[in-house]
Formats: sequence, structure tokens, C-alpha cells
Amino acid sequence: MTKKYLRLTLNERFQHLNLMINFTILAITGFALKYPTAFWVSPITDAPAGMTIRGFIHRLSGVAIVTLGGYHILYMIFSERGRQIVRDMLPGLKDAKDLWETLKNNLFINRPAKEIKMGRFNYKEKLEYFALIWGTLVMTVTGFILWYEVEWLKYFPRWTYDVARAIHFYEAVLATLAIIVWHFYSVLLDPDVYPMNWAWITGHLTEHEMKLDHGLELERIKASQKAELADVDEAASVGGGRVYPARQERLSPMQRLYGTVRDLNETLKNWRGN
Amino acid sequence: MRPFLFLGIFLLLVTPIGSSVVWGGNNGACFSCHKDDSLSKQDARGKKVSIFVAEKEYESSIHGRLSCSDCHTQIRDDSHAAGGKAIDRRVNCASCHQGAEKEYKMGLHSKMIMKGTERAAYCQDCHGKHGIRPSKDPKSLTHLSNIARTCSRCHSDKEFVRQHAMGAGPSPGDLFKGSIHEKTGEVSCTSCHGSHNLRSLIDPKSTIFHSNIPQTCGACHPQITEQFVNSIHGVLAARGRSDSPTCTTCHGIHGIKTKADPDSPVNERRIAMTTCPQCHAAERISKEYGFSKVKSYYDSFHGLAYRGGDTFSANCASCHGVHDIRPSSDPKSMIHKDNLQKTCGACHPGASANFGKGKIHSVASISGEDFGEKVVGWVRVIYLFLIVAVIGGMIFFNFADWLRKTIERRP
Repeated sequence: MTKKYLRLTLNERFQHLNLMINFTILAITGFALKYPTAFWVSPITDAPAGMTIRGFIHRLSGVAIVTLGGYHILYMIFSERGRQIVRDMLPGLKDAKDLWETLKNNLFINRPAKEIKMGRFNYKEKLEYFALIWGTLVMTVTGFILWYEVEWLKYFPRWTYDVARAIHFYEAVLATLAIIVWHFYSVLLDPDVYPMNWAWITGHLTEHEMKLDHGLELERIKASQKAELADVDEAASVGGGRVYPARQERLSPMQRLYGTVRDLNETLKNWRGN
Repeated sequence: MRPFLFLGIFLLLVTPIGSSVVWGGNNGACFSCHKDDSLSKQDARGKKVSIFVAEKEYESSIHGRLSCSDCHTQIRDDSHAAGGKAIDRRVNCASCHQGAEKEYKMGLHSKMIMKGTERAAYCQDCHGKHGIRPSKDPKSLTHLSNIARTCSRCHSDKEFVRQHAMGAGPSPGDLFKGSIHEKTGEVSCTSCHGSHNLRSLIDPKSTIFHSNIPQTCGACHPQITEQFVNSIHGVLAARGRSDSPTCTTCHGIHGIKTKADPDSPVNERRIAMTTCPQCHAAERISKEYGFSKVKSYYDSFHGLAYRGGDTFSANCASCHGVHDIRPSSDPKSMIHKDNLQKTCGACHPGASANFGKGKIHSVASISGEDFGEKVVGWVRVIYLFLIVAVIGGMIFFNFADWLRKTIERRP
């Protein structure tokens, strides 16, 4: 069995699923307003009060995505894993270099192609993550201006509303195209992952996938595991070959109960009777 | 029919030729021949014309007590019966009905007769001949419930319509069927067109002359007409601008339906799709009067939602009014700057005074007149550039990536 590397916890996978569903709903219900005569909008316009319900669902999904964004911020601040994600997500000069080298590889300027080792989050993922944050902020602000136009127009001239409307539309085009072109390429169409990267469902990557996209992170994980195993006696004879942690830090109550029983057994078995 | 035919011939044979009859007073003498339903004569063109008169029908008519010769004034001697001479070409109703004749002579039908049109309506074409009943009688040809049918005898006749170049579409009578006016049973052709003095569309005195239509409809809808004549449309129509709409421009003509009917041009689903745009999106009229707001409406939130079928969304009439549409410069206008807060507030409760300020029908353009239009125009240009650059870059990058990986995997 190939080794697995945790990529997305169940919590993170649900965050992704939530985003995926609501983004799709927002895109469909949003563009349905802009292109009411398009063929694919007819199920909405033909339904009784379809356009009215469309508006309601769009706002509902908008609220859902904003709530998700709020939850994500809390997750990033208050969980240990989240804080580590933030640290790993910070862009650096290496990301620009990686992108540049990839481009040179792709255009056959680097011959043979250079092997590029990237960290836990590579330049593609960082770009997408920051684009998502930017897009969500822009869409949230402009969306709420459009929603609460009565309140907004108490303090601001009408043209600001028109600007918000224009931005909301063009940013939506940009975001949707970015998802289709950038995200769908890297998780679906990229020959390295085709037909699909399963991490969003299973939550882990294989060693091969890690090596291709996160070489540096793979090396770091292996090094840290070796370091952990250095303390374990048995590891010496097998060259630090154990891949599971010697000691799990966080255990469920059942595991802890089982662990207690096991420890007791060990103690009894090894008791020399002195 | 055959027995009657024989009877007719028999009667003709037994009629005493040369006998002296007093023509007048006693209709029996006339009916002795004319009760034969096969009795006919040939007109000037050699066409067979029935000269049968139903006695009972005549006697139950309003003229039933009159003698035949009261109308057929020139049939006075026995030579009529002897030779069957058709010397009395036309009955003169005006000998009694002077007023009606006076009106009739001003109307279109009499003018058409004077022009030589063959089938222009004369008294008997609408009122009937021997069976004339008063208009109040439900059996009368000119009873309100029968008028549409009476007029349709000519005006829904395809040959007649073709000969008189009245257009190829459905006839007015067909359109009128199913209209709200027909359903009420209180309105028929003559209610709008007039009866004896019915005039041509191009006659400025006509009830259906462009600028007279509001008054014609106002006979039944006085409050609406009062609103309309003070609206910009009414004022311009009264000045004789043929471009300016009147009632029929929006509501339709013969087939007027209630606004709840989806086929009605004033149905809320059609107002902003076809009814107002028929002029306000028309090239010629837009240029002449300097308006072209329909496109900006279609691109606005209101217009987009409306086009998608959202009936909560504002259409033209929601802001501009219906019959009392006035220019924004008019203090009574719904879109006058002092009234906008109230107008917008009808759908946007709590709308501030600031809500209605600024250009509503704005069109994003970097060369726009309005500051907001310019800003939105620039936002658009910047975003389009951004979209092309970013998405184009992504496509380029990913395609190159795909190409390399695919080439690397070649067998």
C-alpha cells in the first residue's frame, strides 16, 4: 500500500465542499440575471417566480459563502493546523522563481527540464488562495452594496452603486474563468493528476503526488519523521524506517482507554516479579 | 321548394292583368305577388335579385303599419304589376328620417357612394329592408349585440376587404371577438366609430382621427382621458403629432384586452418588452425626440430581472406612470427630482432623498457625459483588460504545461 500524506482534514474538506457548492450556485444564479435570455437560463425563467427565487437563492448563497469565510478566518487563527497553514501560505521569492522555472521548463528553455521542489503550498495554490480571498472580499463588499442599496445610497452618490454593480459583474467573470482555467487545470486536466486529484474527497496525497508538486515538503516530512524516530530504540536497527509516529499525541477517549489497557498488559507481561 | 315554385307560377298566371288596384293603403295587393319567395328580377347587370318580401317579418317591423307605397313612393300605377318594371330604384328614407340623412351625408359611407363605390353601405345595408326594428329591439340589426355582426357582413368579407384595400390581416370583427369590449356587451363598432356620420380615419372630425381618440375613449373612460390629455403623450397628440401615442397605440385597437390578459400589450410582462419600446426603441422616433433609454433599462438591474420574468422588478410604468406620464421637468411628474424619493420609495421603503439623485438611465462609457458613466466605463475597460491579461496568461501557462507534460509522455 502506498504511503499517504494528509492534505485536507475532514473539516477542510467540508470547507472546500461548501465553497464549491455555493460558488457554483452563485455563478449560475448570478449570470442568469445578467443573461436572462440565454438558453441555459430558461429553466429559471420558465419556472413560476423563477427570477424572484433566483435572487433569493443568490443572496442566501452569498451569505453562506461569507459565513464560510468568517469561519475560515477563525479556523486559521484558532487552530494549530490553521496557523501552520497561514505560515506555509505566505508567499516568498521562491514562489516567483518556481513559477519562472516552470515556465522555462514548459517552453523547453530548460533542457532537460529542471526538477522543481516546492513547499507545502506551491505557487499555483498560493496564487489561487489569494485570488480567492481577494475575490471573496470584492464580491462581499459590492454584493452587500447592491443588496442594501437603500442604506448605501443614504451616504454615497448613485454612481458608486453603478460602480459596485460593474465590479460585481466583472469580478464574477474573472473568478469563474479563473476557477475554470486555473483550478480545473491543476486538479483535473493536468496530466500529472488526470482524471482528478482525489485529495478533496479522500483528504490525502500519494507519495508520487507529493513528489511532483510538493517535493520540498516531502523531504521535510521525511526528515522530521527520522528525527522523531531517532529517539526510538527499534528504529536504529531498521534505519529509521518506521513511518508512523512513535507516540500519538491526541487520542480519542476510546483510544486512550484502549491504550491504558494495552499499557497495563505490557506492564504485566514484562513484569519480572522483583 | 318545388311546390312554392309551382304556386308562384300559378299566381303569376292568375293575376288579373290590367285590373285596377289602389296602390297604397292596402298592402295585401303588394303581398299578393311579393309573398312568393321565388319572385325575382334582373338588375342592370343581369344579376338575379330576389324581390320576395316576408309579410310576417314586415308586419312585425317598426314600419309594419306603413303602407308599401309610403316608402316605395314611385310605384303607384298598375303598370308596375303589369310589366314588373323596376322603376323604384331606391327608397328614400330621408322623407321621414331627415336628421339621420343629414348625418349620413357627412359620413364616410355616403362619400364612398358619391365616389362610385358599389358596395358602400346605404340605410338598408345596416338597418335591413322590410324587417327594420328599433335599435332597442334585441332582434334589430342595429341592436348593440348585433352591430358587430352587421358591420362584419361587409368588413369581414374577404372579397370586400380585398376590393377596398382594407389590409390583409384579420378583420376588425375577428379582432373584436374576444376583446374586453365585446365581453362587456356594452360596446360595439358604432360606440367608437359613430353610426350615420361615421367618418374616415383621415378626417379630422372623425372619432377615430388620431388626436380625437382620447375623447372617443373618454366617453366611457372619462377619468383616464382626463389624466391622459395632460400627459406628455396627450399634449403632443393634441398638437397633431402623429408620432405621439394615444389610447390605441398602447392598448391595441379592435382587440383590446384587460391588462391581466397575457396577450394584452399593456400586460405587465409586455409593457417594457414591446409596448413602450415600439416607439422608445424605434430608430426614427428616438432620433427625432432624442431619447433612447430602453437599452439602458434592459441592462439595469430592473431591466435584467424584468427580462427574466421577475414581476416584482420595475418596468417603464412603475416609475414613469401609466396614463399621466409627464416629462421630468414637470413638477407633477413621477420622475421630477422632487418626486423621485416618493416614486423610488414605493418599492424601496426608506429610500432617502439621496436615493433618487444621479443619472438613472446611465450607459457605461469612458466618453460618457455623466461622471458616473465615465467611472463605470473605466471600471469596465480596466476589468476587461484584467480579464484578458489574467485569464489569457493562465491559458497560456497551463497550455504550455499541458503540452510539455503530454510530449514527455509520448510513447
